[in-house]
Amino acid sequence: MVKPILKLITVAKEAGVVTRKYPYDSPLLTEEFRGKIEIDASICWGCGACVKACPSNALTIRESMDVRELVYFAGRCIFCGRCADVCPTGAIKVTKEFELATEELEDLEQVVIHRKVKCPICGKHFVPQPLGRYVCEKCAKGGVPTYMMVCPECRRKVGVKKMIRCKGG
Amino acid sequence: MRTPRALKRSIWVFHLNTGSCNACDIEILDVLAPFMDAERFGVKLVASPRHADVALLTGPITRETLPKVVNALRAMPRPRLVLAIGACAVSGGIWHDSYSVIGGFPRLKKILEENGVVIDRVVYVPGCPARPEAIIYGLAVLVGLLKKKVRKEVKEAGER
Repeated sequence: MVKPILKLITVAKEAGVVTRKYPYDSPLLTEEFRGKIEIDASICWGCGACVKACPSNALTIRESMDVRELVYFAGRCIFCGRCADVCPTGAIKVTKEFELATEELEDLEQVVIHRKVKCPICGKHFVPQPLGRYVCEKCAKGGVPTYMMVCPECRRKVGVKKMIRCKGG
Repeated sequence: MRTPRALKRSIWVFHLNTGSCNACDIEILDVLAPFMDAERFGVKLVASPRHADVALLTGPITRETLPKVVNALRAMPRPRLVLAIGACAVSGGIWHDSYSVIGGFPRLKKILEENGVVIDRVVYVPGCPARPEAIIYGLAVLVGLLKKKVRKEVKEAGER
């Protein structure tokens, strides 16, 4: 009876203590570990590429009259990091944060508010300001576009009117 | 909220799988194994919900398991505490809009309230699956050893 126990003691002595003292000690994180994402609001365009890539709809877009909100809900996130891969500006970064335990689900939300560009003709809001600014900059290379900040519908109407005038109507 | 009095002693946990993929369940085993050793805090796995203080709830709560889950939670003594582990238990995860699941603990809570089962405290632990460290952190938040870190963030775009 005693002999096997003595054997165990020698084995245990060789192995030593393996238990990690986690809450009082640093967690065991590898370099590849992916945790909660962080959205840098100063670079984000509000284009919605991350929303299309998200497999679990943790990233969603809420549209209203003059505001587009990018909502990230960490409670549904599966931490795949696809949003960070597809983000054209690199605004989304994967952090190593995993201590997300909370009593209220609202704590897990992260909202980025984008104000939309207002159409000078009809007064409709149509595209997030940073995205509009970027498109303007890109298009300005081949001559400054006239109706760039006009909403697509008004642009069509104005274009048709211009065409009619050109033909002498 | 102050820690319930029952939790000043050891925490006995009951593992309640409600149709999860077993990844979270394996992480729970990791928590109880010597490497992460949750028995440091007096956490002990029990076989019956009647003995348990905390239910470790994993999975999106399928329609098939719903009556069993309600029965198991009803069998638990007050204070009735729940640790919802994994993205599925928190909000339905990738099954959030599926027809065959209830879709996370918040919706189950409503059903429980209709059936007269009171849940005293819930702590949500997101992750797919939740890390063993994250589960221990959630347990510590539930018991009152640590405070929560996350907070709702609302940012305005274009601010530099």
